[in-house]
Amino acid sequence: MRLEAKLALFNALSKLLLVLLGVALIPAIVSRVAVSHTDQRLHEKKREVLDLIKRDGLVAFVRQEKNEAYADYNILKQEYISLTPERGPALPKPEELIFNEQRQVDDEVEDFRILGYRFTANGRPYRLEIGSSLATVELLEDTLRRLALWVLVIGAAVTVVTDAAFARFLLRPLGQLVSSKLRDVRHPSAFSFEPIPTTTTDFRQLDDSLNEMMHQMQSAFEKEREFMSNVSHELLTPVSILQTRFENMLQDPELSHAHSLKLVESQKTLYRLRNTVKTLLLIANIENDQYLREEPVSLSAVVADVTNELEDRLAQRELHLRVLLDPDFVLPRANQTLLFTLIFNLLSNAIKYNRWNGSITVTGQLLPNGAYRLAVADIGPGIAPENLPHLFDRFRRFHASGPASPEGFGLGLPIAQTIATFHAATLTATSELGKGTTFTLEFQPVSKPVLSGSSAS
Amino acid sequence: MHVLIVEDEKSLHDEVRQFLLESQYLVDSAHTYGEASEKIFVNSYDFVLLDLGLPGGDGLDLLREARRNDQQEASFIILTARGALDDRIKGLDLGADDYLPKPFSLLELQSRMQAIMRRKFGLKRQEITFGSGFSMDVSGRVLRQGDQEVALTKKEFDLLHYLVLHKNRVLTRLQLGEHLWGNVLEDDSDSNYIDVHIKNIRKKLSAFAPTDFLETVRGIGYRVTE
Repeated sequence: MRLEAKLALFNALSKLLLVLLGVALIPAIVSRVAVSHTDQRLHEKKREVLDLIKRDGLVAFVRQEKNEAYADYNILKQEYISLTPERGPALPKPEELIFNEQRQVDDEVEDFRILGYRFTANGRPYRLEIGSSLATVELLEDTLRRLALWVLVIGAAVTVVTDAAFARFLLRPLGQLVSSKLRDVRHPSAFSFEPIPTTTTDFRQLDDSLNEMMHQMQSAFEKEREFMSNVSHELLTPVSILQTRFENMLQDPELSHAHSLKLVESQKTLYRLRNTVKTLLLIANIENDQYLREEPVSLSAVVADVTNELEDRLAQRELHLRVLLDPDFVLPRANQTLLFTLIFNLLSNAIKYNRWNGSITVTGQLLPNGAYRLAVADIGPGIAPENLPHLFDRFRRFHASGPASPEGFGLGLPIAQTIATFHAATLTATSELGKGTTFTLEFQPVSKPVLSGSSAS
Repeated sequence: MHVLIVEDEKSLHDEVRQFLLESQYLVDSAHTYGEASEKIFVNSYDFVLLDLGLPGGDGLDLLREARRNDQQEASFIILTARGALDDRIKGLDLGADDYLPKPFSLLELQSRMQAIMRRKFGLKRQEITFGSGFSMDVSGRVLRQGDQEVALTKKEFDLLHYLVLHKNRVLTRLQLGEHLWGNVLEDDSDSNYIDVHIKNIRKKLSAFAPTDFLETVRGIGYRVTE
């Protein structure tokens, strides 16, 4: 997952957590707030009433003669105020209590939040009650809760979006760095040294060190390329001289037969040396990325070319070849010549290490993930398990089992593997003694954009 | 046929020269860039065998220079041991007629030269006759005996053609193998593919006429005689 996506996800999750926490805590908080708000209002009312009493005297409120209580409420019965004279002795000091209780107002019974205040006036205890309907309190609570939740949710949503946008903005240089300097760079020569525009010191440093490292790698590759060129000249020129000399000597009519035979032997030795040198150079050149990889290549076309080339050898050993490439696979960017060599080496091995009148099966298979598997299977003597891991080692020779087997696997397989790697494919071998060997090439899935435009990426 | 060998490695130059002289070519030599440039300018050659790494300059520049001159009709064959792969592409782009990486076989060089001549003079239906009434149509890839067609596989045809092309020379199995499998690095030089091919060719041809023109030279190789 990309860093940006991770940050956005983390951000969204933390905000969600915050909202959930809010949903859990807000009702409790809001009801506390609403209750305390109501209580405060009741206190204020009480103060106002006491002020009025102080100003106008109790007489204005209590109808002394009837000894009746004073009560007042608003039309919707959300609030009431009552002042009741009480029996009993005078109180030493006023008492105040807030509680919830039912009260009957007119004919209706309702829950009220009530502030009860007992005080002494004119030597008589009085009880002042100021009530606020609990329905009102709940209404307030509800409004508050809704408001708080909305603010929370909207706030969270807005910050999620702005945070993501900001993270995106901040991380843009990193994205550019990945896409232009890492993702499509398979070789130092394909690297762009264009600095990424950024004011973030970390990205600047990252970009600079990448450039620096790539500079060093490029120069190392360049040196290697030069070295290879010189080495091949120095090694191949003497071989060339000897080869032409042997050829000329063999044409000498005065040459004795015994010497001719020696020359043929020398020629063989020279060919071995030559092939070793050429193989090393081939591998080095592939690894140094000197081969182009630009043409679309169909595997079935390559297999057809190779089988055409090997037709006689198959016939000579009376081998049956079955090619089951369905569907075909087209590598969008490959090197036809190298792929030919690769398949040739595999098939040529399957011919060499097969039994007389045996068979070779070439199967191609598209895997569910889009990768393609090409297998070349022979029914030859097989390879001993202890030799299997060394099959692709350069210059390791071992004797294949079976009396009729050729001397060794030589350099064909290391070359094959180098070419496979060059095409981002893997080459593996499985074998069972007496049953045969299967070489399997697995090519990576073709990503669609590569097909439409090679430069756009 | 007038050939200029441009090669700074003396031993190699001597071998190529000896071979071409024996094959009845007229041979001239240049060992440095300056010498080659001058000779190409002054003389007219049919072939220039061009080494790339020369004292005094790059062979590719020599080719470029020569191609700018319309009077120069020589066919250029690049012979190089330089490992750089784009040399081949560059050389052919600049108008080289062929490219042989060193080490090369002299026989291969000669057959490339003959192929170039064939292309140049538009010999479309070149017939080579040999043995007892066999004739080979190289571009059509058909072998006939009288009016009858002798069916050969691709490799058998190539092998026989190579032997006929170098008539009266003993060709070793290695030389034949290199011609057939030129671009592929084979390490089993002891294999008997060539022997099997020859056996099959003899079998197919003997149905039409005697094949004693195709000789086995014991321990060495094969030869087609007149």
